[in-house]
Amino acid sequence: MKILPPTLRNRKRYLAFELISEKEVPRDDLIKEIFSCASSLIGDLGSSECNIRLLSFENSKGIIRCNHNTTDKTRAVLATVSNISGTQAVIHILGISGTVKGATKKYLEEFEVFNPKEQSYLKEYKS
Amino acid sequence: MGNPRFYDFNVHTVPDGKDTVKDVMAFAKHLGFSGFAITNHSNVEEPYLEGSMQDGIDTYKAVEIVVSNPSKLNGLVGKYRKNVDVVAVHGGNEEINRAAVETPAVDILAHPQTSKNGGINHVLAKSASHNNVAIEFNLDSIIKGRGGKRVHTLSFFSKNLELARKYNVSTVLTSNAYNCFDLRAPEEMIALSKLFGMSREEAITSLSDIPESIITKNRNSGIVQGGVEIVNEEIISSDGE
Repeated sequence: MKILPPTLRNRKRYLAFELISEKEVPRDDLIKEIFSCASSLIGDLGSSECNIRLLSFENSKGIIRCNHNTTDKTRAVLATVSNISGTQAVIHILGISGTVKGATKKYLEEFEVFNPKEQSYLKEYKS
Repeated sequence: MGNPRFYDFNVHTVPDGKDTVKDVMAFAKHLGFSGFAITNHSNVEEPYLEGSMQDGIDTYKAVEIVVSNPSKLNGLVGKYRKNVDVVAVHGGNEEINRAAVETPAVDILAHPQTSKNGGINHVLAKSASHNNVAIEFNLDSIIKGRGGKRVHTLSFFSKNLELARKYNVSTVLTSNAYNCFDLRAPEEMIALSKLFGMSREEAITSLSDIPESIITKNRNSGIVQGGVEIVNEEIISSDGE
């Protein structure tokens, strides 16, 4: 089938994010959790409007695609992700761009993912 | 207009929560916060910790007062008021909510919603507005709740928001975090608040201006007794002439 001409394609937004978690999370588990959160928060109808898709995910950072007018809803869905197959995690959105290239260049290249363990130089105070 | 500075005014740390102040500071700073208040419950040991400013993020000494009987609230507020920057009250019970919004020395009524309703009605909203007590929207119940509980929370929040708008009550958005992973970045909190009808401007005010005004009010207050407020400072200063 012929690809739709650019004017008829859905406009999209690309959300660059980092996943802050206790330990590394496999890509499949992340996808499963995002879709389960989406269906729980906005349901089938909302999910179809948002059209969320995980494009790339490597070294705890990646890009999520959604429709251009549902970035807020998508953000809310991603904010409700708190536990991925038993690992505590936070999805922190670094920025939104209109192209994959823009999102990668502006927000992901050279970005160091926050590691809570490295920060906790005062862990010994915990009893 | 510069970028707003964001604050989270309900965060629990060791011994109430799981993580140390330092850990939370690093995490919150990374997410883009300018500060947060350590609101440990008053029924744990050493509830309030020294506030500090370090590495570009402020922490404020605060307390979340837990009372089972509204008659005891006044005494506890008096005990903590002078030592902390932010006094919050652990709501969730109609009588406690009422006592909290009727006490001008209280800054925030935390999670007022009960199991049956939002915990705020027109009478409480009027008192909250009059006494300048902010109503909290704790986003953890949206983030972590699933199914029926979240459905109720969302509808209670939108009702509380409607009352807050009508009676001009201050609102704060908080994470009610017990560890680092309960925190959410300000933009995510704004997106979550849209779910129950908050506009972006209102959300920014609740995360930035209102927390700032609570701190300024408590740090610079010329200690006016409850019920007495300075209406016109010029009259007072010209009195001395």
